[in-house]
Amino acid sequence: MTTNETLIKVENLQKSFDKVDVLKGINIEIKKGEVIVIIGPSGCGKSTFLRTLNLLEEPTGGSIHFEGTDITNPDTNINLHRQKIGMVFQQFNLFPHMTVLKNMTIAPMKLLNLSKAEAEERAIKLLERVGLADRANSYPSQLSGGQKQRVAIVRALCMQPEVMLFDEPTSALDPEMVGEVLEVMKALAEDGMTMAVVTHEMGFAREVADRVIFIDQGIIMEEGAPEEVFSNPKSPRLKDFLSKVII
Amino acid sequence: MNFINTIKNFFINWFADIESSFIKTFIREDRWLQLLKGLGVTLQITVFAAILGIIIGFIIAAVRSTYDRNLADKKCRNFGDYLLKFFNAICNIYLTVIRGTPVVIQLMIIHFIVLASVRNGIYAAIFAFGINSGAYVAEIVRSGIMSIDKGQFEAGRSLGFNYLQTMWHIIIPQAFKNILPALGNEFIVLIKETSVAGYVALKDITYVGNLIRSRTYEAFFPLITVAVIYLIIVMLLSYFLKKLERRLRNSDH
Repeated sequence: MTTNETLIKVENLQKSFDKVDVLKGINIEIKKGEVIVIIGPSGCGKSTFLRTLNLLEEPTGGSIHFEGTDITNPDTNINLHRQKIGMVFQQFNLFPHMTVLKNMTIAPMKLLNLSKAEAEERAIKLLERVGLADRANSYPSQLSGGQKQRVAIVRALCMQPEVMLFDEPTSALDPEMVGEVLEVMKALAEDGMTMAVVTHEMGFAREVADRVIFIDQGIIMEEGAPEEVFSNPKSPRLKDFLSKVII
Repeated sequence: MNFINTIKNFFINWFADIESSFIKTFIREDRWLQLLKGLGVTLQITVFAAILGIIIGFIIAAVRSTYDRNLADKKCRNFGDYLLKFFNAICNIYLTVIRGTPVVIQLMIIHFIVLASVRNGIYAAIFAFGINSGAYVAEIVRSGIMSIDKGQFEAGRSLGFNYLQTMWHIIIPQAFKNILPALGNEFIVLIKETSVAGYVALKDITYVGNLIRSRTYEAFFPLITVAVIYLIIVMLLSYFLKKLERRLRNSDH
């Protein structure tokens, strides 16, 4: 599904908290339709990297171009770009005071000026795709973890984003619920959605990723097609990492 | 026989005393009407002060929590940051002064100094109690905003909402539900605090009750009546707050 059109271009991205350098110069281009999976040991900066892509973390150096616009430029209206960058969090972060339907329709209605009927139609279609149409009027507290995460995914999709960022989407789930969320993500990838996924699910990376990025010590240590990265790791750090995780 | 007569007389006298006290307290000189007007003054001050307090409280809480979330341990980088820092400092001074001095003194300062040219004490009372209540409401609201998980904020921003939209659509509704009991408590305190309005010559319910006591030399009926009226208002308010709380809670199952 990968095209030749560059969607996100990251150059020399740096981020430090106080005096700790978390990202020390990341360079990467993400093509439209590409699925990249970011792996690495905990504390290596992979989540921080993902969160800088929609400026939830403000980088301390370097630049991020999204659709040709430098979003790290203070004059850029980041809110407009965030509408096109969907994000899914480890802890779901559904709005607990709203029903599933309201969770999904509030942003399209307020930000894209969709009518209630249009927004709800869009939401119901997406809920049907993830098998949750019957939960439209439930509150998040009535859903299981897997259902919450599926709702979180379709909530982001309601804005019809150009790219979806997943920050460890299955890490907070009970093991038997991981599969249903990965299925949804896989279907999304097959539909041609551009995705950047931070995960520990190596099976998912192997199966769905176009490219696997191994981040360690704040830089991209190694990258390539999944079979290449998993079967033939070059750097000792990646070898060490892969020996410790279950594939 | 003598004994029974004594007891009988005692009760006859007792009822006669009560009757005369009652008439003196409520009927003579239309004193019930004065009490009713006093109640009106108390309610008027409370309602307008509460509205003012909520407005002030939310504005200050917004400034303070924005500062806490974004700037508390960072350096200012642009003009907006400095402006926020400046407003935050003003809010801090306001909170320190208002919470550090008695409301009666604030009331008198506003009536006799700030609004000295305004004859009617009711404006001074509304401003004083509103400004005073605002300080407490601000801290309640701020604690409510800070109690909402950071992830809620990030989810709102990641969908493309700006800071204020995220606050308005996502954070405040959740915070409001959490702080409702504390907010209700603040208004219960406010109603009772207005009882010092007599200091600026306002004829609120407490003032009227005390006036009747001093005119009639009857302490029991005027004071107990005033106490019961406060009690009823507070109980009514608590009842409605409980109802509202239950309605807002329908999203947690």
